[in-house]
Formats: sequence, structure tokens, C-alpha cells
Amino acid sequence: MRVNGWNLTGTASAPSNADRGALSVSQAVDMAAGALDAIPQITVLGEVTGFRGPNARSGHCYFQIKDDSCAMDCIIWKGSYAKRTFDLRDGMQVHLTGQFNLYKAVGKMSFVARSFALAGEGLLRQQVAELAAKLQREGLMDDARKRRIPAFCSRVAVVTSLSGAVIDDVKRTLRRRNPLVELICVGSKVQGEGAPAELIEGLRRAASIDPAPDCILLVRGGGSFEDLMTFNDEALARAVAACPVPVVTGIGHEPDNSICDMVGDRRCSTPTAAAESVAPSMAELADVLEARSHRLCRALDATVLAGNAALDTASRRADRALGAHLARLRMALDAAASRPCLTRPDAVLEQRGADLDMTQDRLVAAGTRMQHRMRERLDVLASRFEGSTSGLAPLRHELALSASRLEHAGAAMTGRAASELAAQAGKLDALSPLKVLSRGYSIAYGEDGVATRAGAFAPGDALRVRMADGMVCGTVSQVESNEDRTEN
Amino acid sequence: MAEEKKKVEELSYKEASIELEGIIRSLESGELELEESLECYTRGVELLKSLRTRLADAEQKVSVLMADIDGADALVPAEAASDEDALRF
Repeated sequence: MRVNGWNLTGTASAPSNADRGALSVSQAVDMAAGALDAIPQITVLGEVTGFRGPNARSGHCYFQIKDDSCAMDCIIWKGSYAKRTFDLRDGMQVHLTGQFNLYKAVGKMSFVARSFALAGEGLLRQQVAELAAKLQREGLMDDARKRRIPAFCSRVAVVTSLSGAVIDDVKRTLRRRNPLVELICVGSKVQGEGAPAELIEGLRRAASIDPAPDCILLVRGGGSFEDLMTFNDEALARAVAACPVPVVTGIGHEPDNSICDMVGDRRCSTPTAAAESVAPSMAELADVLEARSHRLCRALDATVLAGNAALDTASRRADRALGAHLARLRMALDAAASRPCLTRPDAVLEQRGADLDMTQDRLVAAGTRMQHRMRERLDVLASRFEGSTSGLAPLRHELALSASRLEHAGAAMTGRAASELAAQAGKLDALSPLKVLSRGYSIAYGEDGVATRAGAFAPGDALRVRMADGMVCGTVSQVESNEDRTEN
Repeated sequence: MAEEKKKVEELSYKEASIELEGIIRSLESGELELEESLECYTRGVELLKSLRTRLADAEQKVSVLMADIDGADALVPAEAASDEDALRF
């Protein structure tokens, strides 16, 4: 059945139009494929869309890239995707390098990308991410590096453009929130050529203000990613990290995030938020003052109360201690008063009297006993004495006899001896040289005793002559011997 | 409390605030002599009064860091933020 030249039954007869020069589908697809193959490897810039990640089974990626008016299918084989440096996502601007390919079974043209790279903002973002990773590896984003911003900064430097609305926002915000904060504005370009260098210089100048500010606000209003690229500058980021004064950043608007935000000491989502973060509001300060006022009063009250309580306690303790002391004294006094010496003073005398009586009794008894013993011993001695003297009488008689006999015997003995002695004395007297001397003889003595010869002397010798009644002494003047005389 | 106290007016808001907190803490510690407590309290009240006045009378101080001809930086007083709360677009 044919309707308007279409075969609706599907039972087409054998091609009968070959002679009209028609190509089969295969031939046509082959031709197209050949034409596509002739196109050399190209790089295409486009936005990723319809990307659902690698196919769960095959691992290949199927998606589309598009620009404002066109789109085309795109394939990245599993092996190529494995070499990627980042994951593809919808909306990414990418450079895809590869060749066209025609899937003949369905006649579908695809671009097979062997490699891909980010382009435009995507490229910038990737570079920023790489820089961020590098600085993070260096430790510039470590929490430990982040300095504490005083809760109440009284001197704050703002580094930003002085011509934009941002500086006014910061001023107005702080005026409203806390006019006590002194603001120092340091002007600088915040975008475009040379902006990072000016900002670095601005930070340096702000940090060297004397006296130094409590913190530096590095702020900029919102803008495109490219506008905010200034704050992803590596040199500026390093200057922020190295700034001697803590840096608070407020760059762009949430969710903008720059490298400066990451290396600063405090990150705020906007310039206004940054300004608000450096000081408490007047209301808060008023609350704090109110609270302090209460605490001050309470503290003094407590001091006074505590003082009172301490005094009460001390007073009670003193009372107690004094009471106890008095009670002790009273007891001691009572005890003393109840001693017998005070209650019955004569008891002592009585006691002494009794003691004395007893001693006396003992003394008397002892004397009596002693007397008895002595008498007994005397009796014994007397009888012994009598016994011992009974043999004395005969001895006495014998002694008397012996005495008389001795008397007689002695007289007899001496009588005879006395008469003999008298006789001998007469004889002796007759013979005495003294008798001779008395008749006129004398004895001469020389140096050597009795001299019997005149020759014993020489003139000048000492001469002594014994007479009957004494001695004559002299010196020989001359010696005359009898022989000489005879010779002469 | 031996060191000579600065006059309250000579203290910055922050200094006065810190001193006040210190006074309250030492009072709260309850370790002061009664005479010291009273002295502290008097000083605290003075500080409190001065701080309140300053809060009430606070005026914003803004200056701009300007480079001289010879390149040295100097602070030049600038206008405070305008009073009006209306936002400018």
C-alpha cells in the first residue's frame, strides 16, 4: 500500500532506484566519516554541559560542549580521562583537543577529546587553586599562624581604594557600630595592572604607622572573578602573611574567596563584616559597662557582707573561747578551794600530832627493848667475868713470894760485887797518872801527841804541857838534849 | 595598688576598660583589705562614669595616610562618616 509515494508496509521491493545514482546509507555515512577524518586534530573551546561523570560500566565520559548558538556531543575515553588534572563539571569553559568521529551505527557525530584544559575563568580558577595548594603546603594558611585580633581594636588601618564606596561603608559601619575606633585610611588601587604592588606597599605603609594599628583591614567591594584576581596574587598573599600587623580581609561578597582571605589572620565575607569584626558595638560596650557596674556593686557588697560575717564569727569565737577559759579557771579555783588544807587547816596539825605520838610510842618501845637486851648481855658478861677472876688469888700469893726472894737474891749478889769494886777502885786510884801529875810531874805533847824525847821538838814547834790541874801551851824556843849537854 | 594611678581622663577607653575589669576581678576575688576594697571601688566608679560619658559622647576620628613630597607618610585628618543612614547607590 502506498500513500503519497511512501511505502508504509515495510515490505519494500528490491531497490529499483539504483539506476538513479542514489547511495546506500552506509555509503553516505562512509562518505561523511571520510570527510570528518580528513579534519586534522583541533582544539575546541566550549562550555561543558550534560556531564554526568564517567559511565558506570565503561568508564568513558559522554557529554556535550556548547557555545551561544551551537552544541555538539563529546566523548572522552576512559584512558584519556584518567590522565586529567581536574574533574569536569557542567559550566566549565574548557579547551578540548581531539578529532571528530562518526558512530556509524546511528550516524552520530561526536568530538573525541584526547586531552582537555580549563580555559578563561576556569583556567584562572585552576591557577588560583594551584597557588592556594602551594601556599597551603608551605603552611601559610595554618591556623597556628593566624594571629589573634583584639576584640576591641582602637586603632585600625584600612587599605583599599579611597575613591570607591567601600571606604565609606567601612567608615559608616564603624561610626555606627563604634565611633571609638580610630580609622586610618591608606589608599591603593584594588584592581587592574599594578594593583597588587600598590596593595603590598599600602600594607607596608599601614604597618609602619606609629603607633602601630591594632589591625589592618584589607577590603574590596564585590566584582567579577577577574576583578578579584588581584587578591589572588602570590606576592600580595605573601605580603599579607608576612605583615607584622594582623590582617583582616573582606574581599568581594560571599561566597567569593581569595588567596588573601586564606592567608590573612581573619577572613570576613564583606568589607562591612570586616569592619564590624574589629570592635564591639556601642550597645555591647554599654551592656558590658552595665554588667561591670553591677559586678562592682556586688563585689563591694560581698566584701562588706563577708567582713561582717567574719566579725560575727570572730566575736562568737572570742565569746566561746573566753567562756571556756573562765570555766577552766573557775574549776581550778573550786578544786583548790576544796583541798583539805583550806577546808580544815587544823587537820594538818592533827595529823602531825598523831604522827608524833606514834613516833614517840615507837621510841619508848625501842628504848625499853634496848634496855632489856643490854641488861641480859651485862648479866652474861658479869657471870663470865666472875668465872675468869677466881684463879687470881694463888697467883698473887706466889708473886709476892717471888718478889721477896728476888729482893734477897739481888741484895746478896750486889753486896759482894760492891766490895770488890771498892777494892779495885782504890787500886786504880793509886795507879792514876793524875796522881803522878799531882806530885809535880807533867806530860809534854808535841805535834804528834805525847813526846817522850826532847828530840821530838825543834825550835818554833808548838808545845803543850799537861799539869795536874790544866794545860800550858807555848812555843819551843830552844831544845837541849841531855846528850848535847854531856858533849858540851 | 602601689603604683601611681594615671588620671582617668588620661586613659584611653581601652585602658580604662581593662583597668575597670581588673579592679572588679580583684574586688570579686575577696582578697583585698577593706580599705583597699573601698579605694578600688571608688576608682572603679570613677572609671565607670568616665567610660559611660565617653560612650555617650564618642565621635569618630578618621585620618588618611598621605605621602609627603619627600615620600614620608603623614596622617592627615579626614572627615568622619556622614550622619545620614540612607544608603547611597
